Amino acid sequence: MSLGVLLVDDEPLIRSGLRAIINAEPDLAVIGEADDGAAVTPLVRRLRPDVVLMDVRMPVVDGIEATRRLLANVDDPPRVLVLTTFENDDYVFDALRAGAAGFLLKRARPDEVVRAIRILAAGDSLLFPAAIRELAARHAPAGAHGDGLRGAGLTDREAEVLRLIAEGLSNAEIAARLVVSLETVKTHVAHVLTKLDARDRTQAVIRAYQTGFIAPG
Amino acid sequence: MPRSRELLAIPVRRSTWQRFVYLGIGVALVAPFGTLAGFVAPVLEGALDESAAWTVASVLCFGPLAMATGMLASVRDLEIAAVRRLLGVELADAAALDAQISWSTRWRSAAWFVAHLVAGGVIGALTLVLPPAAVSACLAPFASGDVQLGQLDATVPGGPASAWLVPLALLSPLALIYLAAAASALLARIAPRLLGPSPAERLAASQRHATRLAERNRLARELHDSVGHALSIVTVQAGAAGRVLDHDPVFVREALTNIETSARSGLRDLDHVLGLLRDDAQSCAPTPTLTDLPRLVDSTRSAGIDVTTELTGRIDEVPQAVSREAYRIVQESLTNAARHAGRAPVSLSLNVGADELELELTNPLGEPRPRRAGGGRGLSGIQERVTGLRGQVSAGPDAGVWRVSVRLPLHPTP
Repeated sequence: MSLGVLLVDDEPLIRSGLRAIINAEPDLAVIGEADDGAAVTPLVRRLRPDVVLMDVRMPVVDGIEATRRLLANVDDPPRVLVLTTFENDDYVFDALRAGAAGFLLKRARPDEVVRAIRILAAGDSLLFPAAIRELAARHAPAGAHGDGLRGAGLTDREAEVLRLIAEGLSNAEIAARLVVSLETVKTHVAHVLTKLDARDRTQAVIRAYQTGFIAPG
Repeated sequence: MPRSRELLAIPVRRSTWQRFVYLGIGVALVAPFGTLAGFVAPVLEGALDESAAWTVASVLCFGPLAMATGMLASVRDLEIAAVRRLLGVELADAAALDAQISWSTRWRSAAWFVAHLVAGGVIGALTLVLPPAAVSACLAPFASGDVQLGQLDATVPGGPASAWLVPLALLSPLALIYLAAAASALLARIAPRLLGPSPAERLAASQRHATRLAERNRLARELHDSVGHALSIVTVQAGAAGRVLDHDPVFVREALTNIETSARSGLRDLDHVLGLLRDDAQSCAPTPTLTDLPRLVDSTRSAGIDVTTELTGRIDEVPQAVSREAYRIVQESLTNAARHAGRAPVSLSLNVGADELELELTNPLGEPRPRRAGGGRGLSGIQERVTGLRGQVSAGPDAGVWRVSVRLPLHPTP
């Protein structure tokens, strides 16, 4: 069973290029397209994609607002992968805070595009941890300090797992690092996400940076 | 101690002598007003006694008259140039060249002018009077009877009793140099306040600067967006084409066309914005008009292109706005001709009629012209300018030559 992808971009040539790249993979399939953020929620309800590739800047409803609406209105929503022309686009961080699970440069190589989709769908490791770190550093609130997550009540082990998630380690890698079983790691990760009220690893990491729990840099 | 060494070095410093020259100019400027006072004083002597008459005449001539002179824009410009060059003072540029000088600025210039006259006059007078007096003082110990000190209204007794005057006389030129240095240092200190831009002018200048920067930022952002967009399409399409190369030739063909179109449109945007930025950079210099045409033609000729010109009508009477644009049109046409026809000769004819300006530029058609997509900045730039002035333009091959004809109304009705 292949992963279903929904393409949302107002530029038809970006869509046709991405469609060809994605459809060339046996395990991926573009199952729908939209040229504006307004069409996303109804399309997702109808097509049930696993991943939405979402442009940030669109004429009527932009990618940030579309992500927000999608995550607020659809049960068990797909992962949102934000597409951006520029690395240092401030909108990207807004999109991540709105709930996107990762972002991808439009100039990414075809194999990076398909790898990003697979990583996001699997959900067990962070996409581009270095880039997220950089974004978080640039947007870190002034005066954030280490105890920002104290209220969340993480155990020492869970705090350690959160740090390793932020480094970009997958569950298997974390298990190897901490010399525990994969199942134990999964339990820790699930607890971290629940305690931080985070949808996924990306959101948990953003929260960690935003509160100063992890110092950017 | 560096401080005392600095003070000792004053007489041998180049800047000291340059500043002396500035004071010397002050002396020269005193002359006409002094001469005038010399005419006015005898007239007043009928009503006043001699010294009162001279006082009134001097106050009149060096007061209101000198101040009125100092208020002239050209005098201000000269003073600013001299202060920068000779006093070595960095003065911020004031308003744009064509801007009106405010009255407060005029008053400040007038005060400066008078200060220059006074400082120059005092130092100048001492320079004329001191050396002969010093020579007389040096001779006094050897003389018998009273000795007059140069042209000064003072005498000293001759003989060895006056020997103490000699070292004083020998030191007096040095003292004069230090006095001049002190006076010009004082002038240099007040120069920015009197000749620099006023707060209002500074504000206006920084606002202009800010507007220009904002405009440039906007252009840069637009360029970033549009070229970034085009290059993203190119990357995605090329990447996709690479992926499906073996089994979807139709897609690959389409992708290549898309890549070509997107890259071209990105280049066109680059062309356009860079052109605007270039125009903006040039706008700091006075904008050239048709009266600058000979210089443009000369520089084109020196680039190895034979240009024949035929100019008829009163070119200097063309309204500024039209004249500026017409200059640019000629400039862009010459650039286009050079780009497409190489060093082929160009003939330019310009006729200023009663209501219309006609401009025609031809060059022989050489090799088949390579099609440049969108005409680059060349023809489209000309078209934009002509449309802006509600004129007409035609360009194309005609009887073996490439002909650009432009007609601009001299008084475009809005």
